[in-house]
Amino acid sequence: MGNFLVWVIWIGAALACISTAVAVISFTNPFYSALALIGNLASLAVLFLLASAEFVAAAQILVYAGAVMVMFLFVIAYLGGRADAPWAGGPRWLQLGAFVVGAAIMIEVIVALVTAADGGLADSAEISRSFGSPAEIGRLFLTDHLLAFEITSIVLLVAAVGGVVLGMKSSAEDDA
Amino acid sequence: MLGPSTTWYLAVAAVLFGIGTTGVILRRSPLIVLLSLEIMLNASNLALVGFSRHFASVDGQVFAISVMAVAAAEVCVGLGLIVAFTRRKMALDVDTLTELRG
Amino acid sequence: MMAGAWLCLLAPLAGALLITLAGTHISRSTAALISTGSVFVGFAGAVVAFVKVAGQSPDNRENLSTAYTWLGVGQFKVPMQILVDPISLTMMLIITGVGGLIVWYSIGYMKGEDEERRYFAYMAFFVFAMLMLVMGGNLLLLLVGWGLVGLASYLLIGFYHDRPEAVAAAKKAFIMNAIGDATMALGLFLLIAKTGTLDFSTTFYDASTGQLSSSTVNLVALGLLGGAVAKSAQLPLHTWLPDAMEGPTPVSALIHAATMVTAGVYLIVRTHSIFEAAPNVQHLSAIIGGVTIVVAGVIALVQWDIKRVIAYSTMSQIGYMFMAAGIGAYGYAMFHLMTHAFFKALLFLSAGVIIHHLAGEQDIRRMGGLRKVMPYTHAAFLVGALALAGIPPLSGFWSKDGIIASALAEGGALGYTLVAFGLLGALLTGAYTFRLYYLVFHGPPSDLVLEHSGGHGADDVADHEAHGHAEGPLSMLIPVGVLTVLAAIGGLLVIPGVWEPFLNWIDSAVEPLVTPTVAQEYATSVVAVTIAAVGIWLARRAFREARELVADGAVRTTLEHKLYFDEAYDALFSRPAQLVANRLRDDVEEPIVQGSLGEIGAGVSEVAGGTARLQSGLLRSYALVIAASVAVLVVVFVAVR
Repeated sequence: MGNFLVWVIWIGAALACISTAVAVISFTNPFYSALALIGNLASLAVLFLLASAEFVAAAQILVYAGAVMVMFLFVIAYLGGRADAPWAGGPRWLQLGAFVVGAAIMIEVIVALVTAADGGLADSAEISRSFGSPAEIGRLFLTDHLLAFEITSIVLLVAAVGGVVLGMKSSAEDDA
Repeated sequence: MLGPSTTWYLAVAAVLFGIGTTGVILRRSPLIVLLSLEIMLNASNLALVGFSRHFASVDGQVFAISVMAVAAAEVCVGLGLIVAFTRRKMALDVDTLTELRG
Repeated sequence: MMAGAWLCLLAPLAGALLITLAGTHISRSTAALISTGSVFVGFAGAVVAFVKVAGQSPDNRENLSTAYTWLGVGQFKVPMQILVDPISLTMMLIITGVGGLIVWYSIGYMKGEDEERRYFAYMAFFVFAMLMLVMGGNLLLLLVGWGLVGLASYLLIGFYHDRPEAVAAAKKAFIMNAIGDATMALGLFLLIAKTGTLDFSTTFYDASTGQLSSSTVNLVALGLLGGAVAKSAQLPLHTWLPDAMEGPTPVSALIHAATMVTAGVYLIVRTHSIFEAAPNVQHLSAIIGGVTIVVAGVIALVQWDIKRVIAYSTMSQIGYMFMAAGIGAYGYAMFHLMTHAFFKALLFLSAGVIIHHLAGEQDIRRMGGLRKVMPYTHAAFLVGALALAGIPPLSGFWSKDGIIASALAEGGALGYTLVAFGLLGALLTGAYTFRLYYLVFHGPPSDLVLEHSGGHGADDVADHEAHGHAEGPLSMLIPVGVLTVLAAIGGLLVIPGVWEPFLNWIDSAVEPLVTPTVAQEYATSVVAVTIAAVGIWLARRAFREARELVADGAVRTTLEHKLYFDEAYDALFSRPAQLVANRLRDDVEEPIVQGSLGEIGAGVSEVAGGTARLQSGLLRSYALVIAASVAVLVVVFVAVR
């Protein structure tokens, strides 16, 4: 029973994931695309939970869906009508190529997974109860992956500075 | 483990990645391009988490959190660029940015 | 350590470099002084070396001094070395001594010419190159000197580069010498192939002890002979020498009389071991010399240009030297080389004084009666002419007759033929020399002469003020005087039966193959002098009767055309070569070579254009390409795994 439920939720979440992703790239109104992305993030969080990555799921909702997407929505609101994204144009080969390449990558990886890696991915290891807990992740961040932690914080700082610089008014422009 | 095996997680990640790539190349509005990039980043996060679960190693999740942080930073800068475009009355169309021509 | 010899070699080079690098920062007279000074410093070095070597015992006079290894390819090594032995010392003394006098003379002669500094730099460079040739301690360095003197000769003949005749003459000299250079190089290649080295000692030893096959030695000797014939203007590669008179007179004196043209003789003497192992080739060189004596002599009988007469005379006298070297009378060959340097340089320089005095006139038909006007030059020229004709006790007598006596001592068909050539040459020499002498100096003064002597206008007074003497500047007259003395007494170094220091000196380096007895010497002398006197008498009689020695007619016309050698070479070589060159240019060079270059350029341009289209600036296409590459790489990674 438990396994069956997990399967059902998993399939549902995966379908939601994929369909919202398709929705993101197909709407003309960027607002709708952003909302679809929020849906995508939420279903991904469900998948994370099913993979025992609780903290990552939480961070996904809080940070990604909560902060990043809100920022997106702010900007879309600020842009108003200028943000409209019609489907028009570009060279034919480019449009065709986009689909071909996307499909190619998808198919290649799935084929590789199914044929080549089948043996390797059959049995997953046992996990403990504290797998994926904030304590675990925090411990790793501050011991094994301290450098990554520090550099990430610097990246964030740089991005903040970059954002401010880009947002500054310069003499060559009018007020929006 | 309960539910689908790791292969399924990776398959979903691959599909998402493919969709994201298509979106980046296909759409002309920088906003949609950024959103598609987010999809690609999330796809890689999913793969990381799947592997972390498979090998019972939390490192994958740590990596995923770092990716999330960097993605946030990148979105911040990207949106700043888009706002700068509009401030300078440029069209929000990736095809008009041809300084790399020649 | 032969410091004197190295100084001798390097001083003129230093002089040339100094003048070249100083460029226009030094005055013309400074350049002249540097040039002259460097050559005389070289002479001092040669004297020091001479004293040292003369003090060594006769068996021990071969001094090889190495500076460093110049060239090393695998087993083949060529050191930078000089060989100081009696032969090279004789040449060194002549080159720097007579050369120094001639460069000094040029100070006066070339005054006021355009680009004097260039001239003096070239002269010093030539002296260096000639010294390199005679002092080179192995065949490769000799070849280096050989090529460099060819270059110097080209530069100096074409000194008056505005004159097309001079430029053509320079090219002709260089090309004909290049033929000789080519045969010489081929001979040297063969030597390297068979002996692995170009050292004098090894190659000569191998040649003389029969370790090289007969065909090898003959081919090498032929190659060397080819070079010698070209450089020394013997038949058939002689046509460049008369044209080389386009250069300034001191150049003709130094290069085309005293030194460079004698390089061929030096070569044969130096590589005598190879020639002795190939007797047919050695005898061939003697025959070539003999024939040249006569041919040059008869052509000289009809020339009107004072310098050309002397040029043909040079050709003829070098024929004597070739004759001597060809039968193995090396001592007399070198002796005649030395005396010839003295009296030929004297003749050229006195002719130069005359030309300078007559403001560039060289046609003897417009001269005459200079005896009264230029007594000093007249005396000098007369001494030179008598020495050339071989009248005792002047220098030419001792050396020339020694050669004819050696031919007599050689005997056999070859020997007697050469004696005949030699005696005929003596007759012709007397005739053409004194034809020249009488036409220039005797008879009533010609209009041109009067113009330049008695009736000088006010503006010519400045000219004469520059002269230390009415005939010419002191810097010209003093060297002429020195050479007159040398031409007069220089021959007294070999008095057969009495005193032969010069022959002993040369014999210590190279054994002669024939030595005439004292009786043969005196017999030859009597005959030769008589014949020369006959020649002089014929010339005098013709002059008195106001006619030419060679009457008008077919013979005279042939002689005036220099036996049609130039025309023959033009038809045989020059025209076909031009035809081939033109065809190649039209059919190969332009369409294929230049065309292909153009095609390559156009092709690159097209490719670049095509590639540029890839860089459309369209961001999305770049993204597409990146994504496609990723797709490809995935396959690669999975497949390779």
